[in-house]
Amino acid sequence: MKRNNTFMSRLFTVLVFLFLYAPIFVLIIFSFNAGSSNTVWRGFSLDWYRELFSDRIVMRSVYTTLLVSLLATVISTFAGTFAAIGFYAMRRRKRHLLTTVNNIPMMNADIVTGVAMCLFFVAFFTLWSSFAAWFNGIQSFFELPTRLTLGFGTLLIAHITFNIPYVILSVSPKLRQMDKNLVDAAMDLGCTWMQAFWKVILPEIKPGIVSGALTAFTMSIDDFIISYFTAGSSSSTLAMTIYGMTKKRVTPEINAISTILFCTVLLLLVITNVREIRQEQLAARRKALPTATAAEAARYDSRPSKGFSSRFPKFIAAAAVITLVLCTGVVASRNASKPVVNVCSWGEYIDESLIEQFEEETGIMVNYQTAESNEALYSLLKSGAGDYDVIVPSDYMISQLIEEGMLEELNYDNIPNYALISDRFKGLSYDPDNKYTVPYTWGTVGIIYNATMVDEPITSWEVMFSDEYAGNVLMFRNSRDAMATALLHLGYSVNTTDEGELREAFRLLRDAKERGVYQSFVMDEIYSKLEGGNAAIGAYYAGDYLAMLENNPDLAFVIPEEGSNWFVDAMCVLKDAPHKEEAEAWINFIASTEANLANMDYIWYASPNEEALESYPDYYEECYEEELDPEIYEIMAASQETLDRCELYVSLPAEIRSLYNDLWTELGI
Amino acid sequence: MKNKLSHLAIPYVIWMALFVVAPIIMVVIYAFSSADGGFTLANFSKIGTYAVVFGRSFKLALIATAICLLIGYPVSYMMSKEGPRFQRIAMVLIMLPMWMNFLLRTYSWMSILENNGLLNQLFQKIGLISLYNSIFGTNIEYFHMINTAGAVVLGMVYNYLPFMILPIYSVIVKLDNSLIEAARDLGANSLNVFRRVILPLSLPGVLSGITMVFVPSVSTFAISKMLGGGTEILLGDLIEQQFLGGAYNPQVGAAISLVMMVIVVICMAVMNRFGEGEEQAVML
Repeated sequence: MKRNNTFMSRLFTVLVFLFLYAPIFVLIIFSFNAGSSNTVWRGFSLDWYRELFSDRIVMRSVYTTLLVSLLATVISTFAGTFAAIGFYAMRRRKRHLLTTVNNIPMMNADIVTGVAMCLFFVAFFTLWSSFAAWFNGIQSFFELPTRLTLGFGTLLIAHITFNIPYVILSVSPKLRQMDKNLVDAAMDLGCTWMQAFWKVILPEIKPGIVSGALTAFTMSIDDFIISYFTAGSSSSTLAMTIYGMTKKRVTPEINAISTILFCTVLLLLVITNVREIRQEQLAARRKALPTATAAEAARYDSRPSKGFSSRFPKFIAAAAVITLVLCTGVVASRNASKPVVNVCSWGEYIDESLIEQFEEETGIMVNYQTAESNEALYSLLKSGAGDYDVIVPSDYMISQLIEEGMLEELNYDNIPNYALISDRFKGLSYDPDNKYTVPYTWGTVGIIYNATMVDEPITSWEVMFSDEYAGNVLMFRNSRDAMATALLHLGYSVNTTDEGELREAFRLLRDAKERGVYQSFVMDEIYSKLEGGNAAIGAYYAGDYLAMLENNPDLAFVIPEEGSNWFVDAMCVLKDAPHKEEAEAWINFIASTEANLANMDYIWYASPNEEALESYPDYYEECYEEELDPEIYEIMAASQETLDRCELYVSLPAEIRSLYNDLWTELGI
Repeated sequence: MKNKLSHLAIPYVIWMALFVVAPIIMVVIYAFSSADGGFTLANFSKIGTYAVVFGRSFKLALIATAICLLIGYPVSYMMSKEGPRFQRIAMVLIMLPMWMNFLLRTYSWMSILENNGLLNQLFQKIGLISLYNSIFGTNIEYFHMINTAGAVVLGMVYNYLPFMILPIYSVIVKLDNSLIEAARDLGANSLNVFRRVILPLSLPGVLSGITMVFVPSVSTFAISKMLGGGTEILLGDLIEQQFLGGAYNPQVGAAISLVMMVIVVICMAVMNRFGEGEEQAVML
């Protein structure tokens, strides 16, 4: 009976560990997959590791993560230890109050801490810029920077702030356990209080400090949410990069990072623990053989053998972490001193070799970021979390940004390639005088479906709202596009400002959601869902359909009979952008015919560059030695006839925008 | 001398005032102001509409916490009964996943739970799906697992289980064994020993475990986005959406954060009453 019990409990423990490790093993196994899927095995390869090491964004974020964790750990361990001693020496009531405040970051939800700090920093920056302007005005000895942004500094402050409480938490109990008379005795014997601190208090609380530092480091490495709100766009931690990747078409580079991380930590822990076990064996032997050498005995005595504390492995661990930081730092900062341009675009929206080509040609480094949707981009800009030079918003968002004075007028003398842009895409409603924009791509919205998973070809927006394919439909995760599908189905204009029509469209969406029509709300996650056959139908952009078609030939695309939306995405420079010249160089480079051809070939969105658009079929034939299917070309670059059935979004008045926001939030519920 | 030592805390007190207290005051200010800066209560009036999300978040977080407790307590208890070497290895194994970012682990669950994912492939191979179809007369090709509330709870349990195990374990392992022996000597059976001695003494660990699982669960947004697919949005998603997401409205976001913060603080205060003010969140 008793034995049976032990067996059952062991089995239970083993199952729990299996549960903890199964997903990790999945990640590790698929990091060696030759294909890019995370569910289908296509043979062994090390490609993803090679790609990982050449991926500058990932390497830089690893460096940022390690550096910020290390610095935050060191600083918060010092500060936390002093603070704990200070608290300990305080009167009870005062201590109680301060401990309560100290507990706030631990008790508070991470998201609240993150949001609060983000608001605080941005408010401080606003105050600072008016102060700096005033200060620079009254004297001319030195100039204060007027424009501060979220970045590494704020990230570090945030990490220190949430780490210190953990250090205090592990140091305080050790202080309480300490014999109070020790300090007094030391002072009576002539110690200054400084000496008392170094010689008496510190050795007593050392285990607490070590475990506090370890907790702090773990918390820093594991944090995502607080970093997400405080790091801004110029520095991003590994977690933020991964989060960005999961929103796009995921590459097994993620698996490769996981594997490397896992093995590094495993190795460190094994080293630490093997040392400890050895010491224990040594201690046991020493007990058994009282004649053990004095040296051995002394060695044992000098080391407490409990927990994570023994000097040598700690040294190794610290040295390993520092080396790692330095190595990734060298890899990541090869080009730190060169001029930069911060670009924010959409996921899967550029042939990445263009970035390298631009960097080689001009010596300007591109910090390439992506946002999820126009609305999310707007939030990033408004909240101060996005600090970019060039953005690529769509038509309606451009007019909104112009209206709010957030865009800088371009100097077209620096952008000679603007002449190559077709007149069809100049002077459109969002920028009637051609002062702010250079078009990047254009295209249509339609329904993508898996022909093997539907009974008959889709022709109408109806499927997005009917029960026929319930649970297999993917809907846009941005308010404007999602509402447009409903408005189009109801026969209204996508630019309607009639509250009744909008509410009717909203009800259509909400009812469909409540009936379980939507499998999920997606942006670029749609790639893996449709390519992998995990969903049958999704509304998305024509260019992305063609990119998916390369990986799943069963997919089909239709512009529904009710009509649809067509869009232009254009490059703009933000007001007061710090790298305006570099930004214009980038825009000019991207507007060239070669870049447009490369981009079209890679992302399958139609180019606004007349020459590139017309010569693409020839370019395709040259590259692949086969003719471009005219049907595919028509989907990519829709004919005027098709465009006539589609409507361009225009910017909506503020009160309708806020209605959109409210309805969108309510739909989420 | 004591007074002098207490000066050591002054830098941190200033730091706290700047980076802990001031940001929270900012949240309060935002929660009570309108877009153009005036005082308003309108942000809170919208919160009524979000009651569903509050309900769902607290429900899912409570379920996840309960499951963590149900799994975590026995595991901690059993670990403490094993030999020291096993304990050490087990501790390392529990800590190890935390050093890989939780997003990586959650992402892995996505590929496991997908309709064409690894689990469904496995079910297909071993014939579970055809068995299910023949028993229930249905015609399914896969079990629908991802983008459900269940998947979100699974993600929470998976990610936060170590936060439950570690504090409970560290309390149980320090229990004075002579108390248990004494109880035995006085005639208590195993159940009574557990109920009357071990459980009450391990309560501080349980309470801090509950806090450490419940708070991140109730406010998560990455897990619900990745495993819930936006169909089961939680408080975290709602807040994120108002700040960096698709519906920019930081005032409403701040109001939601404030209400959530107040509810969580009240919950924790009530709970800690049971713990007799034992505020030792032991972890490592």
